[in-house]
Order: sequence, then structure tokens, then C-alpha cells
Amino acid sequence: MLIALAGNPNTGKSSLFNAITGAHQHIGNWPGVTVEKKEGTITFEGKKITIVDLPGTYSLTAYSLEEVITRNFILEEEPDVVVDVIDATNLERNLYLLTELMELTDRIVIALNMFDEAKKKYKLDVKKMRELLGLPVIPTVAIKDKGIKDLLHACLHGYFKPKKLSYPEDVENRVEKLQRMMENLDLKNKRWHAIKLLENDSEVRKKFANLGRKDILHEAEHLRHEIEDIYGDDIETLIASFRYSFAHGLFHEVAEPLNVGGVTITDMIDHVVAHKIFGLPIFLVVMYLSFEFVFVVAAPFQDAIDLIFNGKTLASGQHINGLIDISYHWMASFMPNWASSFINYGMLRGLAAVLTFTPIIMFLFLILSILEDSGYLARVAFLMDKLMRKIGLEGRGIISLMLGFGCNVPAVMSTRALKNERERELSIALNPLIPCGARIQVFAFITAIFFKHNQALVMWSLILLSMGVVALLGYVYSKTIFKGKAEPFVMELPPYRVPSLKGIFIHMWEKSEGFLRKAGTIIVGAAGIIWLLAALPWGVQFGGENSYIGQIAHFLAPVGAPFGITPESIIALFFGFFAKEVVIDVFYVLYGTKEALFAAMTPLQAYSLLLFILFYTPCVATLATIYNETKSTKFVLFVILEGFALALFFSFLAYTIGSFLGVGG
Amino acid sequence: MKLSELMPGETGVVTKVAGTGAIHRRLLAMGILPGTVIRVARLSPFGDPIEYEIRGVFISLRKSEADYVEIDRIIPLHMVPAGEKVRVMILDGGVNFIRNMGSIGISPGKIIEILSPCCPMRVRTALGEHYVGKGEAYRIYVR
Repeated sequence: MLIALAGNPNTGKSSLFNAITGAHQHIGNWPGVTVEKKEGTITFEGKKITIVDLPGTYSLTAYSLEEVITRNFILEEEPDVVVDVIDATNLERNLYLLTELMELTDRIVIALNMFDEAKKKYKLDVKKMRELLGLPVIPTVAIKDKGIKDLLHACLHGYFKPKKLSYPEDVENRVEKLQRMMENLDLKNKRWHAIKLLENDSEVRKKFANLGRKDILHEAEHLRHEIEDIYGDDIETLIASFRYSFAHGLFHEVAEPLNVGGVTITDMIDHVVAHKIFGLPIFLVVMYLSFEFVFVVAAPFQDAIDLIFNGKTLASGQHINGLIDISYHWMASFMPNWASSFINYGMLRGLAAVLTFTPIIMFLFLILSILEDSGYLARVAFLMDKLMRKIGLEGRGIISLMLGFGCNVPAVMSTRALKNERERELSIALNPLIPCGARIQVFAFITAIFFKHNQALVMWSLILLSMGVVALLGYVYSKTIFKGKAEPFVMELPPYRVPSLKGIFIHMWEKSEGFLRKAGTIIVGAAGIIWLLAALPWGVQFGGENSYIGQIAHFLAPVGAPFGITPESIIALFFGFFAKEVVIDVFYVLYGTKEALFAAMTPLQAYSLLLFILFYTPCVATLATIYNETKSTKFVLFVILEGFALALFFSFLAYTIGSFLGVGG
Repeated sequence: MKLSELMPGETGVVTKVAGTGAIHRRLLAMGILPGTVIRVARLSPFGDPIEYEIRGVFISLRKSEADYVEIDRIIPLHMVPAGEKVRVMILDGGVNFIRNMGSIGISPGKIIEILSPCCPMRVRTALGEHYVGKGEAYRIYVR
């Protein structure tokens, strides 16, 4: 048996899906698009039931991907039951989608979700609603697992005798006329097709053009004009009005508002949180606290993972073995040293790197779920929209950009919050240009050596430069390569709600597991390759002058010269590709002491190097995540090229101007 | 006038939803239709977007989107001071509510005079003097 969940956004559809399927769910994409598809299988009353969570939509037009996916699924896959998840606190608007769903299928079960909250707002007559609709109506409270069994029971044994919305006679006549013209066609649900043709729906029109039925298209257009003439408005407004008056009428039949004119808690909170003046500072504080929470709480977990795998080198130079060292010695006892080294110091170290990312990802998505599920994220979009629109993003885009300062990996993953595909891509293309925590660590290390007296100034110059570049590129990209047609940004500001723990943990698990499984493979592979480059030809010092990496660095030395970048720095940059903080370790290995490093470069060369590190390619983990989110090698290449172009441009500029002016030399 | 010209706290009734394509359809799907009552809840820090209350739901619209919506300014009855004479524009409720109000002379197009302010309000209609409760005054819109 196949059940599809449909409904408006913010109705608790995901919570209901979680409540029904529990942990038995599978997340993927709808074929050919990046819209998320969730599926789960359960056994209820001895029957195997597959549940598909359709994208949240307000209507079923041909204008958005989500809406087309939803209606095509219902039309073509013919689920046995469609559950329309309705936010009972917002009944009238939610009933609009129901009128559209009822034109697509007869087998609908209505889940009146958040029924507990709704009872405070209206007196609801569920029995009357059942009678008026001729469909099962089941009150549910998804986050408290209430009403789930009743809902499934209704799906299996419900009585479906829908009393459909009928349009005024002048419209119905014309729908029937079109239906009659379709008699010989092999089409499911002709009435729906006829209504959509009258509505001038582009997808359905295409369908009929492909069927070679121009006659029907012409007739539909003629009939549409007739209706518009009779009622004196455009067809879209008219059809929407007919549907809404059905929704409006039904709503007033079954719901009696309580407490009219009272101020809601949400309105009181928004009076402060979405305030014209206080809104922005509050947002900054919320972001700061979230940030602190994620990185401060995740840090000990990351350190512990690092310590367990990689051990620790004490200040005295003594090395305490980690799991990787122990495993290396053990394997070396029965296989060649190089093989053990490759497995342990190459691959296993890669795996350790992947694992150290997971605490950040888990805590970050914990916070993000709380922000989203509580309703605050929508307020961020409201507060920041005007500002972010200048760089081609909607308000929520600020979140992933800010997260970039912590770590680009979860920041790129967080772009899923942007519903618009073009904005998501733009946001991913900009994200690696924000210096992550690891790069900021490297900056702190280098500036402490070379710019003792104005370290803060140099650090800020780098961070402000990156923000300036993001703003400028965002502006330019949104007008050129990431240009898209204006999409409506009609957004609901849902009531504030206490998020459900279950939903948050499922979300956290999904994200971390997805990262480990998909990005993890790529990262471990890349770690292996870097190991090979640093260790071969066999017998050289690891990452030394004679290794392949050393040879490449030597070969590239003339290229680095105009930027003041030394061959040793090139080796460090190579390793930095694996993980940015490794740059510091490599400098220690190559130079031994900070003094030796200070002697090897002028401050100007150091600044040029800093600029290079700021922009050159994102680390392997970020690239793997970008690939994962876009499924496009071209996009990954674009991000690498973009980084190198900026790195070369700024280091060259700084080094040339600096040399010319004779500063820092 | 355009919806985007309405000030925070003010209320309007939609007369026309212009525009084409996705934006037009999205506005309609959110329930912004001729006859819908819409109130400006608040402005965002940069004055754009604007938060509106429609059918008990809060929605954020960009100015460029609110420009597509034509409205007439109306006032909820409870905000009208005593002594004013106003014309009833909209009764925002179901069939019973409209019937009940009609029975005391409050229906669209009728002129009523406010005798004492909200709430309960005393009003003079063509059918004599009547009391209007809070639950009703908040759902009657006048001009």
C-alpha cells in the first residue's frame, strides 16, 4: 500500500512523517532535481505500507518544482491514499490546498494536525467537517505522537465519498465541454485536466500539445476568455476565488473563533524579535550564541577524536601514540612498511579527519533545527531580506555565510534551507570564500610570527577583504552567471513553537550520517592520494624536497616567485588542501622553529601567502560536500578555479604594490 | 491605493490582484483575493519586506510584491470613536454571523452611527439602537 503525505509548509508534515515511520526512513532526491524525497516503510495491522513525504506546497500550479512534483506523483503514481496534513490552527488557508487535492483524487484522509493548539483558537466540529467533506478527518498532534494509529486506520478502512467543490454553472458547463472533447484520450482524471486547461496551466497545455490536440487547446482558450468576460477578472483570480470561497464557507461551518481580538504570544514575541530596531541586534546575539555553542561544545569532542586517532606530540618532542600509530606498528609486523603506512597514515588518517568533522555537523544541525522548527529562521529571512537581496540571496542566506566562519562543510550543507535552486548554488559558490575556523587558526599562527605589533589589524584586513569579496562577487554573480527569473518571496511567518526533540535528533542523524557516508568516501580517497604524493618515490623523507610533492613544489617555484611564495610554502599549501590547519604542522616540519620560519620570508611575502591561503581552493572536505550538494563536477571545478583566481589576483596585487612601495620588504 | 502604501496597524480590503505568472499565483494561493481583509503587522528593519496579517496568518511580502495588490483602506469597527458615522464595508465571518448582523441593520453598504466606543459598542442603525460585542466589532470593517 502506498500513502502520500501532502500539505502546506509549516503544518508539521515532517513531524507526522517522523511519527509514522520513526527511524525507518530513507532520504534521497526526486529524480533529476535536488528537491528532497523522504520515504519510509512500516507494517500496520499486518499490512506493509510505504509512505512518501511530498514537498510542502500552498497550491498545485505549474509554477514551482515542488508543486509539479506533488501533483504528478498523485496523478501518475496513484497512491492508495493521500493524507492532507492540515495545520488546524490555520484552517482556512490550509483548506485551499485541499480543494485542489480533491480535484486530483478521491482517496484523501485529512490529518487535522496541531489539534491541541487549534482547540485554544476555535471551537472545532470535526464530525461536521467529516460530513461536509465526505472524507475521513482525523485530529492529530504529530509531535506528541497523538492520533497516528487513528490516521493509519482511516487510511486502511476509511470511507471515501467526497463532496466535491463545484464551480458556478457558467464554469462547470465549460469544464464539462472540455471533458467531452477528451473522451477518446487515454487520460486519467479528465476533469482535473479540463480545469487546469481553463486555468491556462503551462504543463497541462504542453501535454495536450504533445498529444497533438490543438483543437482542445483552442477551445480551452476560447472558453477561458468567455469566463473572464462574464466575471470581469482574470481566470486565475476567479478560480482561486471559487476555491477560497469553498474553503471560507467550510471553515465558518466547522470552526467558531474564540477570543477574537486577543493578542497572540507569537505577536508579542515578534513585537520584540522582529522589531524594526531591536530585530537586528537580537539576531546578532542569537547567531553569536549559536556559534559559540556549536564550536565550544564540539571542540572537546573533536580534540578527543584527534587524540584517540593521532596521539599527541608533547612540547618535549616525545610522541604519545594514537590508534593510528598503534595500528601502523601492528600492521607493519606482517606487511611491508609502505603498505602499513599507506593504510594507516594515508587512509586511516583521512578517516580520522572525517570523524573530527562530525561533532561540528551534529551540533550545528542541532542548533539549525531548533532555529528552524521554532519559527525563528523565518524571522531571520524577514529581517535580513533587503540586505541579502543586494547580493542575490534571500534573508536566510546570511545563516550559511556566517556559518562559513566556523566551518565551510556544515555551512554548505545548511544552504538546503534556501528553497530557490539558483540562490542555493550562488550561496555555495560564495561560501568557501569565507575563511573558516581552520584558516583563521593559520592566520593567527602566521600573523603572530610576522606581524607581532599589528596582528589584529592584519587579521581584520583579511576577514574584511573576504567579506568585501563575497559581497562584490555575490552582486556580480547574481547579475550574471547566477542570474535567474524573479521568484515570489511570499513567505509565511509561522507561530513560534517548541521544537520536538525527536524531529531534531532525526535531522541531526540524517545530516551526520549523510556526510560520513558520502563526503567521507571522497575525503578518505583524497587522503590516500596526498599520502602517495608525499611518500613516493619510496624512501624519501615524507613530504620532503625529493617526494613528488617536493618535486611539484620545486617545479612550481618560478610560478610562486612573482607572488613572493616560497617552495616550502607551496608544499604547505598542498597539504592545506587536505585540511587547512595542517599548513601549520607542515611549516613546523619544514622549518623546525618559528624563528627559522620568520627568517625565511619577509613580512610582505608572508602577507602575500596569507592572501593566498585566504582564497585558494577549499579543503577536500568542503569540495566533497559541495559535490554532494550539487552532484556536479563542473560546479566543484568552478569553485576551485574561482578560489585560485582570487588567490593569485590578490597575492600578486599585494606583492607587486608592496614591492613597488618598498613596504614590508 | 497599493497595498505597499498602507502603514503599520492599518487595514485594507483587496480590490484587485495584478501581476502575472508565479507571483500572481502565489499571492492568490496565500489567500490574497478580491474581498480579503489584510492588515499591516510591521515593517522589517530596512522597511522592506513588510509583514501582513491575512486570514489569521502572518505573511511577509516584499514591497515589489505588495505593489501588485490594490486595496481600499478600511477600519475595524472597534477602532472607531463615538460620534462618528461610518459605512459598513465587510463582515468577516460565516453565513450565521452575516445573518445575525443583518438582523440588527449591519450589512455592507449601510451607514451606522457609533454612540459609545468599544466594547461592547452601542450603535445606531436603520433598525434602531443595538449593542455590538467585542467578538463582533473586531470582524466588522467600515469606512
